Amino acid sequence: MNFTTPAVIAFLVVLLLAPAVAGVATRTKSLLTGRKGAPTLQLYFDLWKLVQRGAVFSETTTWIFRFAPVLVVATILLAATVVPLDGRLSLIKFSGDAVAFAYALGLGRFFLVLAALDTGSSFEGMGASREVTFASLVEVGLFLSFGTLVVVTHEISLSGMLGAPFALHWTANAAALVMIGACLFALLLAECARVPVDDPATHLELTMVHEVMVLDHSGPDLALILYGSALKLAVLGAMIISVLIPRANLSPAASIAVLMLGLIVVGIGVGIVESIMARLRLPKVPLYLAGASSLALFSLILVLWNPA
Amino acid sequence: MILFLSGLAIILISAVAVLVIRDEVIRDRFFATFVVAGSALASIPAFRILGGAASEITRWHSGMPGGDWVIGIDPLSAVFLLAVLVVGAANAVYGVAYMRVGSDARLSRQASATYAALVTVLALVVTAQSVVLFLCAWELMAISSFLLVMTNHQETQVRRAGFIYIVATHTGTLLLFVMFAIWSNGAADWSFASLAANRPALMWGGGPLFLLALAGFGMKAGFVPLHFWLPPAHAASPSHVSAVMSGILIKMGIYGMLRVVMLAGPPPAWWGWTVLALGALSAVLGVLWALAQHDIKRLLAYHSVENIGIIMIGMGLGTLGTAYGHPMLAILGYGAAVLHTVNHALFKALLFMSAGAVYRMTGTRNIEEMGGLARRMPVTFAAFLIGSVAIIGVPPLNGFVSEWLVYQGLFRAGYSSDAARIALLAAPVLALAGGLALACFAKAAGVMFLGNPRSDKPLAAREVGAAMLVPQLALAAACVAIGLLPMLVVGPFLFIGATIAGEQRSQALEAWSYVSPAAQNVALFAVVLLLVAAAIWAGRRFVLNRRSVRGDATWGCGYGATTPRMQYTASSFAAPLLAVFEPLTGVQEHRGATVFHSTGRDLVLDRIVSPLWARIQRSALRLRPIQDGRLHFYLLYVVASVVICLAYLVIAP
Repeated sequence: MNFTTPAVIAFLVVLLLAPAVAGVATRTKSLLTGRKGAPTLQLYFDLWKLVQRGAVFSETTTWIFRFAPVLVVATILLAATVVPLDGRLSLIKFSGDAVAFAYALGLGRFFLVLAALDTGSSFEGMGASREVTFASLVEVGLFLSFGTLVVVTHEISLSGMLGAPFALHWTANAAALVMIGACLFALLLAECARVPVDDPATHLELTMVHEVMVLDHSGPDLALILYGSALKLAVLGAMIISVLIPRANLSPAASIAVLMLGLIVVGIGVGIVESIMARLRLPKVPLYLAGASSLALFSLILVLWNPA
Repeated sequence: MILFLSGLAIILISAVAVLVIRDEVIRDRFFATFVVAGSALASIPAFRILGGAASEITRWHSGMPGGDWVIGIDPLSAVFLLAVLVVGAANAVYGVAYMRVGSDARLSRQASATYAALVTVLALVVTAQSVVLFLCAWELMAISSFLLVMTNHQETQVRRAGFIYIVATHTGTLLLFVMFAIWSNGAADWSFASLAANRPALMWGGGPLFLLALAGFGMKAGFVPLHFWLPPAHAASPSHVSAVMSGILIKMGIYGMLRVVMLAGPPPAWWGWTVLALGALSAVLGVLWALAQHDIKRLLAYHSVENIGIIMIGMGLGTLGTAYGHPMLAILGYGAAVLHTVNHALFKALLFMSAGAVYRMTGTRNIEEMGGLARRMPVTFAAFLIGSVAIIGVPPLNGFVSEWLVYQGLFRAGYSSDAARIALLAAPVLALAGGLALACFAKAAGVMFLGNPRSDKPLAAREVGAAMLVPQLALAAACVAIGLLPMLVVGPFLFIGATIAGEQRSQALEAWSYVSPAAQNVALFAVVLLLVAAAIWAGRRFVLNRRSVRGDATWGCGYGATTPRMQYTASSFAAPLLAVFEPLTGVQEHRGATVFHSTGRDLVLDRIVSPLWARIQRSALRLRPIQDGRLHFYLLYVVASVVICLAYLVIAP
């Protein structure tokens, strides 16, 4: 474990700012579409409100339903510990932690999907089915991106890939890295249930993906799930920032400032995408994800056939 | 060696005992105790050798044609032997309880005896170090497992599955005969050591030999497209036999391939590329086909195809490492392959046991008819869940450790400066297989155990007895232990990898000094994950204890009269993913105004093997006239053959 001060501060910043990133996205959308919209910090109020509420559990459900929200947040927190949020070093760093990052998120997803099936609701089953469909395609793009970063940096840990000497690789591999950034942003939209894969503002259960999976969760459990989603958005966003803006040469304070600014930019980006396009039809989503993956595949081919 | 042999003897005694002892309870107790005791005894030398002791080897002059019998335990043998004994012992305990139910009870005697024989010959397969002994053990393994597959032979499905199995396995054995015949041509004797010494004399750099070994052993391992016998055979067998087949029997194919690579020496690169490509293909197609299955045992069987693929990705990587001169890559690849073999033996046997327990209680293998079993069978559910989390390869269980090791190898290959870096392209394939496996086990665990009962079959289900639970919990504990303590486990596997790759011990130490800190961090990651989850759980409990908590019906989105039939089915759950990979899945959809269900067919069996078999049968009919049942014609054939042979001997130089 590396408890360097910047790493710990960056970790806490992401933990605390996560709900605001989602809020920035919503705010951007309401501004661009000419509506008044909810306050940027609405999610904090929602979380606070939900924690104070009681809970209703379906009588069909078992311990899986109660445990899943806990595990979702725990796995995203652990995934965050291996990302170099301060631009240099993650809290936990080891060779192959990129795999742990992706697979920890997988564990959380597995339990969330089981929780949806636990309710016996056909709506939630439908959401669960869509979630695993899209998630398994997301993995491909994610690992192609990791592969490119590994080839470029000769490192297998996320801190090694995105940390200290990473800036040097930009001169040689700019094209590949830009494509990786684009791919990761496209995957972020899918993974965090955003337009064009899912619409967080939709009110029709039949068209939902992520939202419909958690219909039955209430009170503190729903708070955990909402916070988990926001945190995932922030962590993936921080990873994209690390790819696009190598921060190893900045002072720790500047680096964390860039992180915070970057997260706001990610939020604005998500909001802009949501304002300018509609959700894709569900059968089109695999094509969208395949497109994102092929961006990463091209970048991998670029760096594999052109070892700098 | 004496411990090993006496262990096997004790297991064989139990086989005789079940045929002799009349009282059912005493018989089962005796059997389970003796198999467990024998396995424990026989595993001592294996543990010793994995701990770093020297390999053991014994020669007997058997006086048989084919030379001395050689039995030896080296690190590779030791690890496979351990898998055989652990899974074999756990399933012996489980199996006697499993067979005690219903109409199977009268079959339990011969099933137990054959089972003990199977465990013994499996142990012999991995320790035989001479050709004749190896092939004898190999054939006995095929026959005893065939008899076990045919336990319920009064069912047509079972007979068909058994027939496909015996044809497939004998085709493989035939190829192995040819392979060993080519290889031993010019060797001093038939021991493996002499074969290894005969390495330079191999034709075309050993290419034909490699292909024969790949096909012969591959038939047992069941990679795509040689997997076609596997799903029917696994579905037809009693569950403890499925567990042994999937857990260890198909791994004998992996053992054989590793042994050949080890004996045939530094392999050319194309061997590695072939194995890697076949592995990647099997990993994705195996899990895709699993997703289309709703018979839980067929689903698990297809997952074995997937995991054999993952193991072969590791093997291919190891071979590439040797071929391109990257010792670290070779050690990582082979080490990961062997570790995943052991892990898969543990969690797949566990999953088959849990599925068997469910089958015993519901009388169906069709998951569409289950549901709501988590409340009725909580311990079995927990065991199945642990197996599922392990098989999808996520932290904190053992499946993650071996997949992580495979990724280490693939990523390391990615930044080598030669052609080995292309191997990196297997990483996204493995990731896709992981994502699909998650979907598949979410489907299996969710539809089987969660929600409301989908038919009246699960209504009467209750938890199975201790004899069927304890073996499951033992294997689950092993999965958890390897997942939480990878730093204790990975080291020995890297040394095994080094043995297979023919690398020096110093290279293994170097690989270990590189992997060891990472393995410690994997453990840290897993433990912190559990601690964080526990902390959040405690916080949630603290909060909820102060709030009103009540139960109600599941939210039906405004519709009040929901029934269990309205739950999402396994067919619907898998449909969107299968639609993405449409032509590859072999899935047939049945749609109606009020019904939707799908069935998964085996493309290789239905499109290739069955038509081929029909054609062989048709052409065989043409030969029918020469076999018309009249004795004097047969005598004529014998005489004619002898004359031809004699004539050949006279003419040939």
